[in-house]
Amino acid sequence: MWLGRWILALLAASIGFAQPTPEQVEFFEKKIRPVLAEKCYGCHNAKLKTPMGGLRLDSRDALLKGGDSGPAIIAGDPAHSRLISALSYKEDLKMPPTGKLSDEQRADFSAWVEMGAPDPRLGSMAVAEKKPYDFSAGRKFWAFQPLARVAGNGIDQFIVEKLAAQGLRPAPPADRRVLLRRVTYDLTGLPPTPEEIAGFLSDKSPHAYAKVVDRLLASPHYGERWGRHWLDLVRYAETNGHEYDDDKLDAWRYRDYIIRAFNQDVPYDQLIREHIAGDLLTNKRLSADGSALESPLGTSFYWFGEVLNSATDSVKSRADEVDNQIDIVGKTFQGLTVACARCHDHKFDPIPTAGYYALAGVMHSTEVRESVIDSPARANEIEALRQQIAPVSAAAVSPSQFADWRVSGAAFHNAPQRGIANSSESGSDRFVGTLTSQKFRMPTLWVHVRVGGTKSDAKLKENGPLRFTLVADGYKAMHLTSDGDDTPHWKSMRMTLAINRMCYFEIVDRSPDGHIIVDKIVFSESKEPPAEEAPPVVLPPQVDAKIPPSAFAMLASDWESHNVRIHIRGNHKNLGEEVPRRFLQIVGGENQQPITSGSGRIEVANAIANADNPLTARVMVNRIWQHHFGYGIVRSVDNFGKMGERPTHPELLDFLAAEFIKSGWSIKAMHRMMLLSETYQMSSKTDATAVKVDPENKLLHHMPVRRLEAEAVRDSILAISGRLDPTLYGPSIPPFISSYQDGRGKPVSGPLDGAGRRSIYIQVRRNFLTPMFLAFDYPLPISTIGARGTSTVPSQALIMMNNEFVTNQAGKWAERNGGLTRMYEQAFSRPPDAREQKEIAEFLKDHTWADLAHVLLNSPEFLYLQ
Amino acid sequence: MMTRREALCRGANGFGGLALATLLAEKSNAAVRAPHHPAKAKSVIFLFMDGGPSQIDTFDPKPRLIQDNGKPIPLKTPTTVFNISDKMLGSPFQFKQHGQSGAWVSELFPHVATCVDDMAIVRSMVADHSEHTAANYFMHSGSGFQGRPSMGGWVNYGLGSECDNLPGFIILESGLVPPGGLDLFGSGFLPASYQGTLFRKGAHPVADLEPRESSVALQQSKLGLLKKLNQGVLERFAGVSEVEATISNYELAFRMQTEVPRLLDWSGESEATKKMYGIDEPDTDEFGRECLIARRLVERGVRFIELLTPARKGFDRWDQHGNLEDGHRTNSKAVDQPIAALLKDLKGRGLLDQTLVLWGGEFGRTPCAQIPDGGYTKAVGRDHNPFGFTMWMAGGGVKGGIVHGATDEFGYYAVEDKVHVHDLHATILHLLGLDHKRLTYRFSGRDMRLTDVAGELVPKLMA
Repeated sequence: MWLGRWILALLAASIGFAQPTPEQVEFFEKKIRPVLAEKCYGCHNAKLKTPMGGLRLDSRDALLKGGDSGPAIIAGDPAHSRLISALSYKEDLKMPPTGKLSDEQRADFSAWVEMGAPDPRLGSMAVAEKKPYDFSAGRKFWAFQPLARVAGNGIDQFIVEKLAAQGLRPAPPADRRVLLRRVTYDLTGLPPTPEEIAGFLSDKSPHAYAKVVDRLLASPHYGERWGRHWLDLVRYAETNGHEYDDDKLDAWRYRDYIIRAFNQDVPYDQLIREHIAGDLLTNKRLSADGSALESPLGTSFYWFGEVLNSATDSVKSRADEVDNQIDIVGKTFQGLTVACARCHDHKFDPIPTAGYYALAGVMHSTEVRESVIDSPARANEIEALRQQIAPVSAAAVSPSQFADWRVSGAAFHNAPQRGIANSSESGSDRFVGTLTSQKFRMPTLWVHVRVGGTKSDAKLKENGPLRFTLVADGYKAMHLTSDGDDTPHWKSMRMTLAINRMCYFEIVDRSPDGHIIVDKIVFSESKEPPAEEAPPVVLPPQVDAKIPPSAFAMLASDWESHNVRIHIRGNHKNLGEEVPRRFLQIVGGENQQPITSGSGRIEVANAIANADNPLTARVMVNRIWQHHFGYGIVRSVDNFGKMGERPTHPELLDFLAAEFIKSGWSIKAMHRMMLLSETYQMSSKTDATAVKVDPENKLLHHMPVRRLEAEAVRDSILAISGRLDPTLYGPSIPPFISSYQDGRGKPVSGPLDGAGRRSIYIQVRRNFLTPMFLAFDYPLPISTIGARGTSTVPSQALIMMNNEFVTNQAGKWAERNGGLTRMYEQAFSRPPDAREQKEIAEFLKDHTWADLAHVLLNSPEFLYLQ
Repeated sequence: MMTRREALCRGANGFGGLALATLLAEKSNAAVRAPHHPAKAKSVIFLFMDGGPSQIDTFDPKPRLIQDNGKPIPLKTPTTVFNISDKMLGSPFQFKQHGQSGAWVSELFPHVATCVDDMAIVRSMVADHSEHTAANYFMHSGSGFQGRPSMGGWVNYGLGSECDNLPGFIILESGLVPPGGLDLFGSGFLPASYQGTLFRKGAHPVADLEPRESSVALQQSKLGLLKKLNQGVLERFAGVSEVEATISNYELAFRMQTEVPRLLDWSGESEATKKMYGIDEPDTDEFGRECLIARRLVERGVRFIELLTPARKGFDRWDQHGNLEDGHRTNSKAVDQPIAALLKDLKGRGLLDQTLVLWGGEFGRTPCAQIPDGGYTKAVGRDHNPFGFTMWMAGGGVKGGIVHGATDEFGYYAVEDKVHVHDLHATILHLLGLDHKRLTYRFSGRDMRLTDVAGELVPKLMA
């Protein structure tokens, strides 16, 4: 042994010498090179365009230089050499991945590094020093260029000019019935009624069509239709998915918010600000009656992603959540696939990894919590009542275990001072609110909590109105409720799954006639709660106060603002330099001030909702265009980057974007401009020459035929059967669950016909999406899906032929007994022709009207819009 | 001349006739597509062992655990889902060597043990997730997130279907859908036509398959009117291929209506066959039926068939955090005989060569014990372990009679010839004639793959 050390010491004496000794060369050639060649070069050599981890091991310089994570070795210091640590298989990074080297081989590597890593290999390489990211080339791409000033007097000019250049002309105007059907579906997702058809046909005024457009834009069903388009962008869902598919409480408040926003034509720049930072705006919009905050509801969208119920790695779970948020923000508002830059600089677009982590810092500084959404006026009113009831504040207790908890609503307003969370302390059970802790890493296997108050059923889980909840990695994992005694008693939770994970507690009172009291929280390794019982709690006498109601929603707010470090290769265990928080430099500018206070969401919101942002207006007008004309001017509506498609009519796109901004970002004005164009009013009849010249109809020589979306199919069936309940807004209707839908978290089924409500009100349960919707290409809530598929699958036919909902509604439709002409007008917006009348008369000799109704629902004419 | 497979597929004539059937095949996503290279396998049967069977108690014996039973494991262990003890737990099951290859198999799989010479047992599987749902998504789609296309969807996207009357991706269920739900079999961002179709056990396997009309004749006459009216629709929508496809789609739907009952009518199967699969025996009836249906689906040219484990009261799935011994016995009893029957039946009919059979769960289990409050009892179990576990493959170009890779002496980490799930996916696709790097679909501005940006073929597993 001592001899070995002596030799090593001798060899090590040559550290710093450029030329290794012959003994060292021999050591390297015999012990080191063969292992490198066999186990390492495969992934770490100069011939690879992208060696793994950016690391090359085939030359001495490359080895010393290292990869993305830094130097692979520090000559003479095996203890601090990443290569040696990776070979040891003791840390997270284990190399080689095919299996641990033998003890002897690992000892050789240690010895070699200790002696200074003598390495005779030639071909010393010149690794380029990392240069600052160069945005200038990327900025030349069309999408990052400022809007061009385009002279023009409307959509038609741009379309006709391009067609004319190919010797083509637009199709003739569409039949008035076809046009009415088209525009009615486009704006409301429902078919025109026979009365609406008759009204339009008999209106001989030159403004008849414009009047129709205005009528439809004013319809509350407009917001339902366009709200649903928007929900596709923000992966709207009302459950967490994964194993148990638990509820996302109050998600529907966002759905209603978005429907109202479209109906009220909230300027698009305002809508963006409300999504990104609605909680931080100084002038917040309020609900119609002034009682609730409206603007902050936009921020719920951060939280529609999937949630793991038993994550084993909190840091990774949070990083994944943030990644999903960046993905949604990038695609929805900017048409950029920002999330591609998580592991490496974006391969096609000018988004360096540092830009991704600059934005990630903003998201990491943001939390979404269950909150009361009282307007300031409503909150003041409630506070005034509270002071009337309980004019004297109870004495403060120091230290208070709730000192750094966040209060929302009136129920727990005293808790941070008093050290007791008692939602009835002010003398009325009617106060509601939440109290949430800071995040912390769960330290112990047991948490004991003294809980008292009104009895509540723990089985209601997150839906319980009075509860103490453990939220672990964003998952409402465990709930404690009172047995009914006001004096708190110990309740214990075993942190089997939650230990070491990032957690917070929330104490919730959503009950207008109950209260919860929590007076002690103890972390312990012991299963047994502390012996100390709570002193008896005597509540102040209940005052019969008329406390106005409060609503709850999931809202974002700033918590612990901080920068994050680059996750090298997207690995949260391999951190690089810290990046200041800011928005993407390619659109927000390279000279943005780093954000130093707050999360930075306000700054991000202003950078996006900005007339100088080259993408924001283009992306949105393109989305509107797509829903009216079948395809976007940029067909890849969620990707304006290099991998996306180029605009078919770039001048038109810029013209529309400029008009959009000029109108004060009015979405309804944009609809009007598009729908009143002659281009929109074209027929879908094709011309053989035009099809030959432009088979993909990129020049728009005719209106493309479009299939109805899943919701429009179902809503239309309800509309013509007479079952449609046009009620707007409110909590969701549970989906119908057939015996063919199975799995964990299977909910209680809702009614087969969804209570007749429009499809947007059917609860979106990630793991139990409605099969009929899925068959008609309903988007999965995973990412921004600006363009749905339109596939043709047998399950569509099987559903229309054999599904009970369809046959039931066909029966109801037949019972309305409107006669053949009316049925045709309802289903196809036209009367039957002579041949159809004859065939059907023949059929009805030995079939029922219900049979006929069912056949008509199966006609492709019901599914396709001309 | 028609092959048996073609005959089975074309047997059920719809109301339209061959011309429309041809039209459909051209228009739909189902048309057969050429593979990237000559295929070894045409179909896949995935015997999915929901919950994660223990490698240490089935195919990867670890005497060290028996020797040091109850002692702390001398390894740095990862955080497990339930943060279990560090006490080693020896397998309660006896192991023996089997076949010419001499592969070790525990007493849990006496029937499967007779097939080891056709199997490649991979003892060095590695996955990325310790939690069921993410692990299930990962095993099925190569991503731990929800909503990505399932393997069966990718395979059909790559190769198309050889059968017009049935979906190309079928999941056979006996009352237990794994954590993660039906999204495990979804088409994700691929077109809806690549969704898996779940066949429930019993006489009515598929939703909306059976007409609600009082007679077949009534449905026929209604479809007859539809066909007449569609003439006019075709004129109104002249040249719109989607409308034509929608019309011919009804033909396929109608053929499915008749084909599925034929699939389940196994009056032509011999008593010996049914007995071999364990049909009508209480332990094996459910999975036996699944296995027999799987063989019949392979005969009909269905590309990808996945079998789910049946429900067992008290021991649902292979997820034995407690009661390892009873639970694994119960679960193995349900599947052992049917699986061996399937392998032998396929082989006897000359179908094993072109059918890739894959067995395994979303992960394996820990060598350390999960101990119920109170102590080290018979109720002891094992937690999840994605760091080293066993799967096996047979048929379809797989090299039989081999054991590939190894875990450490405790069975915790794979240490030799690791096969990551991405590698497994790459290898499966390769055997089907598909290059996993070329099987791409553009989504989110990226050419997405089943294997993400990873996956290496495992040549040692291929014959």
